Amino acid sequence: MKKFFRFSLVLIMALALFAPTASFAQETIRVGIILPISGGQASFGEIEKNSFDIAMEEINGSGGINGKKIEFLYEDDTGRPDVARSAAEKLINKDKVAMLGGGYGSSETMAIAGVAQQNRMPFLINTGSDDKITEKGWDFVFRLNPYASEYFKGLESFLTEVVKPQTCAILYENTNFGTSQSKAFATACERLGIKVVMTEGYEKGGVDFKPLLINVKKANPDLIYMISYLMDASLLMRQSMELQLNPKMFIGGGAGFTLPEFPDNAGKASEKVMSVTLWYQSLPYPGALDYFTKYKERFKKNTEYHGAEAYSAAYVIADVLKRAKSLSPDDIKEALLATDMKTCFGPVKFVKVGDKINQNVLPTYVMQWIDGKGELVWPKEGAGKPYVYPVNWQKEWK
Amino acid sequence: MQELIQALVAGVLMGGIYALIGIGMTLIMGVMKIINLAHGELMMVAMYITYVLAQYFGLDPYFSLLIAMPSLFIIGVLIQKYLLNPLLKVDSILPENQVLMTVGVGMVLTEVMRFIFQADFKSVKTSYSSTAFYLGTISFNLPMVVAFGIAVALTICLFYFLLKTDVGKSIRATAQNKEAALLMGINAEKITVMTYGLGASLAAASGTLLLPIYYLFPSIGGPFTLKAFVITMLGGMGSTVGAIVGGVVLGVAESLGATYIKMGLKDSVAMFIFLLVLIFLPGGLKRLTKV
Repeated sequence: MKKFFRFSLVLIMALALFAPTASFAQETIRVGIILPISGGQASFGEIEKNSFDIAMEEINGSGGINGKKIEFLYEDDTGRPDVARSAAEKLINKDKVAMLGGGYGSSETMAIAGVAQQNRMPFLINTGSDDKITEKGWDFVFRLNPYASEYFKGLESFLTEVVKPQTCAILYENTNFGTSQSKAFATACERLGIKVVMTEGYEKGGVDFKPLLINVKKANPDLIYMISYLMDASLLMRQSMELQLNPKMFIGGGAGFTLPEFPDNAGKASEKVMSVTLWYQSLPYPGALDYFTKYKERFKKNTEYHGAEAYSAAYVIADVLKRAKSLSPDDIKEALLATDMKTCFGPVKFVKVGDKINQNVLPTYVMQWIDGKGELVWPKEGAGKPYVYPVNWQKEWK
Repeated sequence: MQELIQALVAGVLMGGIYALIGIGMTLIMGVMKIINLAHGELMMVAMYITYVLAQYFGLDPYFSLLIAMPSLFIIGVLIQKYLLNPLLKVDSILPENQVLMTVGVGMVLTEVMRFIFQADFKSVKTSYSSTAFYLGTISFNLPMVVAFGIAVALTICLFYFLLKTDVGKSIRATAQNKEAALLMGINAEKITVMTYGLGASLAAASGTLLLPIYYLFPSIGGPFTLKAFVITMLGGMGSTVGAIVGGVVLGVAESLGATYIKMGLKDSVAMFIFLLVLIFLPGGLKRLTKV
């Protein structure tokens, strides 16, 4: 009996392994999308996957790719580069996808990009923003989003015209994204005449950031710039509130600071905090507001720049596959190079910028959490609401 | 000066919770002579119990202590009785294999929780999560202080239990000399089961106390198992007083390290102390205090 049970178990497992590959018919064009669907970065993965899903339905609803349907195969990188790497290998070798998309965390994106280049597989990045990714000369890797050192371009004029800080402290999570952006921000500060009094990295996932924040309090900078993922961003702000830090402004470097979950987790500590952002629904891009309302209706939740990146990446992928002469990697690559389209995330065109190749260039913006809502506040022309400055933190945190 | 005091306060408060984790492991170490490498994972299970109670039944995390601790006691008893003790009966298996079994138990617990709750981060939001009060300019995080208070109270109860009750005395007797305890008519198997349950419920308490401050995901256990291990070594294996001191020392060392050296090197400070203890004080603090 026991033997029979064991035998049938092995049989079932073997069947489970082979079944899915056997049942697919080649009526669809498959594109592999690698996102952090579980793990610490899951909130970002969720918003992006939802957006990919909306786009996929719309594309297929309006005729698909030259009559064929497009299908996004999702793989979970769990927020770890090694998993991302094997996910990419699986999609390329086992699922035989036409091209790759996705890529959230910079470290994971770097791993995927490496695999893609080795296998000569076109890869369109929509979020991973470490500068180095497009500096390696990898001609099969394209990036839709601005790179990390561009994130705060829109912030610079806000700093020089409004806040005019003398000193600044930079706190960053010490993987690719944080390190890359913090270095660039420190250089920018020097250029703008802001003295960087403290730059410190931390391991993401800490319980107690107070030791770090005590040092910030001692340095008493005018500006605190933080580059963090979601949970760290919330804890940093909550503990800043506890320690009664009093800078002129708290500014986040995108990522954790723009997600709708940020005010949920940080509570009133999130109020009036600013962040750089790459997109806002009120921007004059075709379909931007449309996408925002669709997302909100369907998922009963707000979306922000990560979602918009994913949504427009899906459209770029569809556009590229439509234009490509064949589905061979080289033809897809050629089609990617020739991309020139307007998406809800902004115009997309892959160009060479400095050392970077296949890089899209877009302006960036500043947003602020006002009464629990993320509002675009800078530049003034596109702003939905006037910025709140100066802020009396003691009053906000009562 | 101010930041030194603030760092000390943060360290001592964190140390209280560490001590609670450490005591559980050290108890198990003392009686069974094995390192319970599933300790952090047991703590994680308790955190999920607390999370579910808070999320779906609206129970306050501190109240869930009354549910999480007994539940983990039962889980601990079952693990010891049906998974660890049977290994002792097979002569061909070395007793060290119990340690390997705890590693397995830890992995299974993590994966089961990952299966049920996904790998997402969960947090319990309470009205007092980021409340703080101030003495002068030094801030005290309210849930941290409450956690510290409860940790101290639980430790006092534990000492009372170990020193004054029959079962407690039997646990100490078994820890000191198992053969002699057996000769005196103590049912050693029952005592090991009790001890593991007790250790698990102490881990449960620390997890529950940590939840309002921190957040939760399935693989949270590993780092805390490591911390408990360092504390157990620091305190001298099997010494409860040592574990308390060890916990506080670890908390303060981490906090000072993060303040004066570098936040990113916080965990290295703990490991550095661990190495120093192994090299210069192999018996841990127990060698100094003899308790």
